Amino acid sequence: MANTNTGEIMLKMTNIHKAYDNLEVLKGIDIEVRRGEVLAIIGPSGSGKSTLLRCINKLETIDKGSIAIKDKFLVQTKDGEAVYASGKEEREILSSTGMVFQQFNLFPHMTVLENLLEAPMQVKGLKRSEVEPYARELLAKVGLSDRADYYPSQLSGGQQQRVAIARALCMKPDIMLFDEPTSALDPELTGEVLKTMRELAAEHMTMVVVTHEMAFAREAASQVIFMADGNIVEQGEPEAFFAAPKEERTKAFLQNML
Amino acid sequence: MEKLFDIFLLMLDGTQITLEIFFVTLLLSLPLGMLAALGRLSSLKIISRIVEFYIWIMRGTPLMLQLLFVYFALPMIGIRLPDIAAALLAFTLNYAAYFAEIFRAGIQAVPKGQYEAAKTLGMSYPQTMRRIILPQVIRIVLPPVSNETINLVKDTSLVYILAMNDLLRVARTIVQREFDMTPFLFAAIFYLAMTFVLTWGFKKLEAHYGKY
Repeated sequence: MANTNTGEIMLKMTNIHKAYDNLEVLKGIDIEVRRGEVLAIIGPSGSGKSTLLRCINKLETIDKGSIAIKDKFLVQTKDGEAVYASGKEEREILSSTGMVFQQFNLFPHMTVLENLLEAPMQVKGLKRSEVEPYARELLAKVGLSDRADYYPSQLSGGQQQRVAIARALCMKPDIMLFDEPTSALDPELTGEVLKTMRELAAEHMTMVVVTHEMAFAREAASQVIFMADGNIVEQGEPEAFFAAPKEERTKAFLQNML
Repeated sequence: MEKLFDIFLLMLDGTQITLEIFFVTLLLSLPLGMLAALGRLSSLKIISRIVEFYIWIMRGTPLMLQLLFVYFALPMIGIRLPDIAAALLAFTLNYAAYFAEIFRAGIQAVPKGQYEAAKTLGMSYPQTMRRIILPQVIRIVLPPVSNETINLVKDTSLVYILAMNDLLRVARTIVQREFDMTPFLFAAIFYLAMTFVLTWGFKKLEAHYGKY
């Protein structure tokens, strides 16, 4: 995928440290993502990749380091302690991120369309008439126009995940975070979700994707990071990364995956 | 026949007391129970502990004892309540404790992912509770709440010890005076009618909230 690497920096994570009690899960991670880039994070389970992703939108807090989204600090380290932005500022910073979960996490008591309308109406205070056209446009984009009035339980896993993507997009985020979006799906359903994600990437949406789908990382990502034991072992552009990995750990991992 | 009608009218009076206790208790204990459930789940340890203690007392002692306590013991420390208020206070505190545990279990049954999804969409805690969590809790708690509500219909008969003329006490008075067992039959029919209506109502509610 073409990667200019000159765009505005959308996400910058510096020296991220995090521990649960005595277990260090992130040991000083640095990441930089520019506008329109797709960063794929791969690695064995327990490597800290999901935790790292969840730190970006504060589903997890960090112990040390800094996170800046579009040049605004979500968290900074002062005198050795991580200090988060104040409530209002924090909400504003986080509003530029959207997230897609492994387990979809759609609201089961709302229809597909209501799932999309909920946050724009409640959080942004928009009228239904102001959001619904865009919501329907997004549903069309993920190929689910005819499912607007269904409840999530009436959809397949792949359809639910596409709704979840549309729901996140309906808040017009600048960065989309994907936490193993296809890991809970049957193999025959992963394709439709990956297709939607590829289309997003092609439209230059900035994305950070934690995934086990090597083919997706190879084709759609502009940057690949391999993590193990809370460290970044290797990173690079997908061509070089997959064709000629340098580290032994990376080679062993890719051998197992492919 | 005329005698039967007189008995019926007397018992209708008793039913009024029964229904009053039932409805007022329900109206007060449901929101109080929800408040207690949120308190029980509060991250502030002190609040959680106080609510836990309250629930332990209320579920750990007989409702009859609580009624007697409010009616006879509180006046000793200068709190004298009218009969009906005393009964309502005991009933409300008792049922709120049971509802609190039902609601707590309901809230905890909603997957963590629902909170996370709401949070990543920018929703505040009150918005998340009101729009996302509680509607799902209602569906989960309807069957146990229905159970407790039907129990309440029958528990109202405990107020006879406060000499209040509820349905059952009226029935017993007539039986003792006339040596006629019909009032007991009437009472049974009255209670069954009330629980029938409740069962039907809750079935409707479950259908409404179960559509997804």
